[in-house]
Amino acid sequence: MTVGGPRGGHPRLQMPCLSKMERMIVSMQDPDMGIKMRNQRLLITVIPHAMTGNDIVEWLIQKYGISEEESLHLGNLIVKHGYIYPLKDPRSLTLRADESPYRFQTPYFWTSTKWPATELDYAIYLAKKNIRKQGDLIEHEKDNYNLLHKRINHTWDFVVMQAREQLRAAKQRRKGDRIVIDCQEQAYWLVNRPPPGAPSVLEQGPERRNCHTSRVQLAKNMDYYKREIEYCRKAMARTRVKSSICLEGYIKFNEQYVPHDPIMSGCLPSNPWITDDTTYWAMNAPTVLTPTKLRVERWGFDFSELLTDPLGRAQLLEFLKKEFSAENLSFWEACEELRYGEQSRIAEIVDSIYQQFLAPGATRWVNIDSKTMERTLEGIKTPHRYVMDDAQMHIYMLMKKDSYPRFLKSELYRNLLAEAVIPPETKKRVFPFMRKQRHSSPSPALLLPAGDAEDKIKGPTAVPEEES
Amino acid sequence: MVKEECKALLDALSKVTACYRHMVLTIGGTSDSQNLREELKKTRQKAQELAVANRNKLTAVLKDKSVSKEDKAEFERLWVIFSTCLEILEIDMRRALELGHEFPLNVPKKHLIQTGMSGGTSGVAARAMSIQNMKYEAEHNIDVVDLKDLENEINQVGEMMYEMEMKVSVPQWTVEAKQDPGAELKSTISVGASSIGMISVEENKSFCDISKILAGIIFSAVLIIAIVLAVCVVKLS
Repeated sequence: MTVGGPRGGHPRLQMPCLSKMERMIVSMQDPDMGIKMRNQRLLITVIPHAMTGNDIVEWLIQKYGISEEESLHLGNLIVKHGYIYPLKDPRSLTLRADESPYRFQTPYFWTSTKWPATELDYAIYLAKKNIRKQGDLIEHEKDNYNLLHKRINHTWDFVVMQAREQLRAAKQRRKGDRIVIDCQEQAYWLVNRPPPGAPSVLEQGPERRNCHTSRVQLAKNMDYYKREIEYCRKAMARTRVKSSICLEGYIKFNEQYVPHDPIMSGCLPSNPWITDDTTYWAMNAPTVLTPTKLRVERWGFDFSELLTDPLGRAQLLEFLKKEFSAENLSFWEACEELRYGEQSRIAEIVDSIYQQFLAPGATRWVNIDSKTMERTLEGIKTPHRYVMDDAQMHIYMLMKKDSYPRFLKSELYRNLLAEAVIPPETKKRVFPFMRKQRHSSPSPALLLPAGDAEDKIKGPTAVPEEES
Repeated sequence: MVKEECKALLDALSKVTACYRHMVLTIGGTSDSQNLREELKKTRQKAQELAVANRNKLTAVLKDKSVSKEDKAEFERLWVIFSTCLEILEIDMRRALELGHEFPLNVPKKHLIQTGMSGGTSGVAARAMSIQNMKYEAEHNIDVVDLKDLENEINQVGEMMYEMEMKVSVPQWTVEAKQDPGAELKSTISVGASSIGMISVEENKSFCDISKILAGIIFSAVLIIAIVLAVCVVKLS
């Protein structure tokens, strides 16, 4: 069907959940397998095709083989989206699993993202309601009415004309049908223009922009296929690792780190968030005299762990000094400063690095292979943040492959492990009334100066109640 | 007068549009039938004739340079009303097409939605066509046959609207409505709250009256007893 959308715009799509609900509604109409209909008796008129909440819930249970809870939830969704509306309490769009009556909505008024409700239609509806109720509209409807009068002022005369004509046209129908039409329209606008504070079912949250989902490609022309080929080519060139290997690595990582995770394995001496005792943080501060045993063990897992821990880095420096290769670490640190430092100082830093580490006959000359050295010296002529990257990577790998294993086997490291502290667990006080009370810190509102405190005390009175 | 003729044509178009909307509402429901589809067809053809007549008249007037300024403003207002009416008509026609595809009438497996409507729309159609009674003479599969015509007519209306926009430039923001908010309440239509309003509202109103009457009766009875007692006391003493 090509005649689907408004002129000149992209044809809109129906939200998939709405299409599913529509199919469900149609299957409810089956004379043999559908829902049993009853008659609704008003004072004088009898209107057919009403059903109770119970009927709906039971039909859903039977048709889909689901539990009652799920069926109630599903029925609620259908009512909220306006496919079935309640007759007794029209403003509350919920499904009650009792004898309260419901009726199906006419297909024109089905909720649709393809045919969104327009301001013009809403204005006509409000004008009609105004006429019928002689000006007695609900608060938010009055506000909307005035707003619309301003916004679509140029067609307001048409709105009034059309409202009157629609009411006159409705008079040509039977009384029962007129009542049904009114109920239908009211339910439709309750869904599409909910009163303030009520959630709107048509709100679609922030979409994750995937260029392949949001655009509806109509013409499959040359450009489209070229883009598809490019996309597939790039996808094929991606590096892949077998999932078995990935998963093995992942399991190993987790096994190694589980004893170090404060949530999974508890933390000694005690969790500060629970006991208000900050010893844990004090003992694991970046610079302490004696590191904890867990911390020292972690240095053995991976070179990056050692390097990112300031204490570890200091120990590594000590070790390298003994081995007469401390300049490697200094060079690496200088390159980090270049990468993450200030833009204005880049030329200065590059120059100092060159003078200290790379110039022939420099005091702390680093051993880089000739190709990398050539490239770096070329790059120094036009210095920028990443000009030392190759050299830095080379030195990093050198340290990792050469110095690091020796560090782990060295005396220095073993002494550190032996001297490392295992903090004792906080003893639980024997007498219960001596235990520290666990409470959240007082609300900052109560700490305000005296003038405001009087107002505030009346305000957040919930906080002191929770504390006690 | 040209103004009155234009207004009359516009009123007629508005009437037919309202009736058409009313009929499109019933597609897919239980009062849907071959008759309804035929009524839809006739109504929209009438709407199209009126639209063309309106357009010709209004474009002639707007192109006329000898019209005074107030008249021109008035005709621009009518033009804006006309184009809005046409927009609504086009949207309703598109929806009728979509609903017509979704709810064919002669297929036994496809069921109509039980919306609670039981009467027909012949009165509405008669009002749209400005005749007394509707005559039905179409074949029994008009619901399918008509859809092709409907598609063509939608395209025609779309083209007409495009032409209108291109040929006549009436900036919509310069048109001001003549009616204030709440203007519709001042007119005298015989659309009383009792005939169309909710039955529940009716019931509430009647109950209130009954309770008021009861209260009045009880009060007057107590008053009479008090007067009688006072008279007895005066007489005995």
